[in-house]
Amino acid sequence: MKRPVVTLVVGAVLVLIFALLLFTFQVRQSEVAVVTTFGQPTRNITEPGAYLKWPWPIQRVYKFDRRVQVFEDKFTEGLTADNNNLLTAVYVGWRIEDAQAFFPKFGGGSIAAAERMLEGVVGNAKGAVVGRYHLSDFLNADPTRLKFDQIEREMLELVNAQLRTNNTGIRIEFLGIKKIGLPESVTQTVFDRMTSERKVLVSRLENEGEAEAQKIRAAANRQAAEILAAAEAQATRIRGEGEAAAAQILPVFERNPALANFELRLRALEQALKERTTLIFDERTPPFDLFQGFLTNRNAR
Amino acid sequence: MPAGAALTGGVETARTSGGRRPKPDATQVGVVRSKAGEQAECRSRSPGRMRRSYQKYGLINLLTLLAVGAAALAAARYVNSLAGHVAALHLGLGMLVAFVSWFQLRLEEQEAEERLELEDLVRSKGQAALFESEESELLPARRAREQFERYFVPVFTLLLFGLQAVGVWWMWRWLDRQTLPPVAPPLVAMSFFGLFALILFLLGKFASTLARLEDQRLLRPSGDSVLFGAYVCMLAAAAVVGVEAGWPRADYWAARVLLGVLALVAVETLLNLILEIYRPRIRGQRPRPVYESRFVGLLARPEGLVTTAAEALDYQFGFKVSETWFYKFLESALGWLLLLQLGVLMVSTSFVVVEPGQAVLLERWGRPAGDRALLGPGLHLKWPWPVERVYRYRTDEIQSLMVGIEPEEAKPGVIDTRTVAWSTAHGQEDLFMVAHREGMSRAGPGQGTERTAPPVSFLVVNVPIQFQIHDVRQWAYGHKDATGLLRNLATREIVRYLVSADLDEIMSTGRGRAAEELRARIQRVAEEKQLGVRILFVGLQGIHPPVKVVPEFAKVVSAVHTRQARILDAEAEAIRTNALAAAQAFVLTNTALAERVQLEQVSLARAAAFTNQEPAYRAAPSVYPLRAYLETFVPAVAGARKYVLLTTNTQDLIQLDLQDRVRSDLLDVRLPASRP
Repeated sequence: MKRPVVTLVVGAVLVLIFALLLFTFQVRQSEVAVVTTFGQPTRNITEPGAYLKWPWPIQRVYKFDRRVQVFEDKFTEGLTADNNNLLTAVYVGWRIEDAQAFFPKFGGGSIAAAERMLEGVVGNAKGAVVGRYHLSDFLNADPTRLKFDQIEREMLELVNAQLRTNNTGIRIEFLGIKKIGLPESVTQTVFDRMTSERKVLVSRLENEGEAEAQKIRAAANRQAAEILAAAEAQATRIRGEGEAAAAQILPVFERNPALANFELRLRALEQALKERTTLIFDERTPPFDLFQGFLTNRNAR
Repeated sequence: MPAGAALTGGVETARTSGGRRPKPDATQVGVVRSKAGEQAECRSRSPGRMRRSYQKYGLINLLTLLAVGAAALAAARYVNSLAGHVAALHLGLGMLVAFVSWFQLRLEEQEAEERLELEDLVRSKGQAALFESEESELLPARRAREQFERYFVPVFTLLLFGLQAVGVWWMWRWLDRQTLPPVAPPLVAMSFFGLFALILFLLGKFASTLARLEDQRLLRPSGDSVLFGAYVCMLAAAAVVGVEAGWPRADYWAARVLLGVLALVAVETLLNLILEIYRPRIRGQRPRPVYESRFVGLLARPEGLVTTAAEALDYQFGFKVSETWFYKFLESALGWLLLLQLGVLMVSTSFVVVEPGQAVLLERWGRPAGDRALLGPGLHLKWPWPVERVYRYRTDEIQSLMVGIEPEEAKPGVIDTRTVAWSTAHGQEDLFMVAHREGMSRAGPGQGTERTAPPVSFLVVNVPIQFQIHDVRQWAYGHKDATGLLRNLATREIVRYLVSADLDEIMSTGRGRAAEELRARIQRVAEEKQLGVRILFVGLQGIHPPVKVVPEFAKVVSAVHTRQARILDAEAEAIRTNALAAAQAFVLTNTALAERVQLEQVSLARAAAFTNQEPAYRAAPSVYPLRAYLETFVPAVAGARKYVLLTTNTQDLIQLDLQDRVRSDLLDVRLPASRP
């Protein structure tokens, strides 16, 4: 008897679980659901909780995430009002506002299908709005001249208008420009310009260094000349002082000018003969005047 | 090997009574088979016997698996069924097993045929003459079968394991790449796989039952493969039903489950190969085909779970494990144990342990559970599944995301010590536009201030952003992919900041200020979007020029150094010039000072000497001057070249060469000074 009881209990548990799976379903806080009966939408559930249903294929439950989902647009090229090619990418925060309207329009509520539709609508709005603005509205050294908010607002209005017209059950919560860029060919020229800028900087720095060096050298030369000139002047002053001191002695020599002059000549002679000198004397110059009277050609004749 | 044992399993004689033969006790397989072989041998010797061939059943299994496998693959591709693809793989591998088992069965039957012919020959010609030849020459079919089992079967099993493992690996990766294409048309898909399942089930049930009843061990692998193929196709069909019933990932998970089963079969194949080496060999016992999967057999015939397990244990250990008390206890209490396990499983869902650093959202029937909706770390009681469910979030953990370049992941266990230089790309460069302020200022009056396009520069950005979840409800219920949204918001703020930033400033002095401002901006937009996060850190250390222009930036740095070097050289030169000038000035002034002193002293000395000479001069006015003259003259002219002309003939013309000679001669040698 034991085995049938066990089998019955296990079977009952399994039947209970199976029945729960077949006849009930839960909708989470983050979900909305649509129940169809033989393919016809009959209930739109927006509140979380546990609900009953008839098993498939009588009734079928389509659950959707009610939270904000983010769709990222491709990085696409457009033309600004001042004929600049500009690549832009936007992101869109969207949510399923009306599940009953949403699920039949996108292959049974396919998020991928909804995002494909969004890609078209957003791309169209983006191209239209970018074409109304100048490049300087996207890129400006003055932050107050940027018009990001205005551009994003206009894109959002266009996208929402399109979605409302088609009653897709989708509401766009926000839209933001994720990225801007330039086409590949323009990018290369920007690189070239950045390179040239750096070359200007290199040239400026190197030549500034040379100029600075020259200035430093000139200043040093000037300062050296000033120092030397001052030294020369001081030396001259000192020598003059020496001369002045020496001049105070001169009256002593005035007592016997003949002797004084003779002494002066002797000192001069002494000074003059210090370097290599060739002297030619005749017999009258003392002490060579001693040669007078002998060893002359007069006697030989 | 006795002849009777050799015949067991290879040849089965027809039932004489036409009823079912009682199944031998699985634990006594070897013994029973041995006896059966003897009986078969006895029967085979009796005249008028009938021999039944089973290879045609093996061939039917093989062809069915081939046909249904190909059809399943085509159908799976047609209706985009992921589980259908994996089912086709199962059928294809089962077809290989069926082929080898059929071939082996064929060899055994040929061997049996050969043995019967030999026995007839012995009876008709006499034993003595016949056994003059070698046994291998007499029984070539037996030799072929032995060679097949010894060499081909292990190699095939190894190959089978390789195919199963590669199949699992490849299909697993293939499933990772799938974007869940809708199964369409679903009714056609269900019909296809339902039909395949029906065909395989009918044939497989027959083949499997036949193999068990007739104890045809070589018919069993293909029969099990066919029956298992039926269940695999049923699961593929059920997955389509699940998708249609509102579980869009049912097909995906069915494919995963089937791959998991195939992985287990692959592991079992490998274990079979290894265990076959250590299995005790019992004389007269025909080996079980090593490529046969017990797991597949179990799944194909779940009713034989206990029998399969017992057979496996007995076969592997060589004694009757299935007769032990523990085994019998498990067999009798299995139902209760399963029920107990189910109960424990349900009770275990009534507790939730929240780890430190985590927060848990508790939902009752899908809605937040009132004041217990948010649970902190610790042990909590809850209603069992499916009444209440929990969702865990890492609230204390500092999480991070990256804007711009995604750096390459470091290999696990390897410390990355590479230098991160601007000149080396660390990944796909993501260029961010920067307005060029210098260009704007140079644009001239009226330009760049209104609507003139400013010059553009590029920056490569790699910005790590660290954040914490501080409001779990906002984080969990507000956005489907909150991390992705935060990355988009951060990217937007960085783009907006850079388009009006100064390139040189943001890469140098303004980096810290910019990082703080960006953090504040990202925090503000995250609050606007109710993300429930706190931005802790925004790092701008990864901002640098594009790799293509990095060499030019390096040249600027070099130029800065060159400039500084030139200035320093000039300063060194200036220092030298000024120092030398100062020294020269010092020399000049000191020379003058010396001269002044000399002049003063000499003047004084001369005055003193003059005072002393004056009396002498007065005393000898003619002698004193001459003496003084000669005393001065002689030393003064001592070093001079002297020519003394004693001319009396004034008419003679004397030519004197007074030029300095280039070469010196003896006359130029300076004489040593005369000693005083």
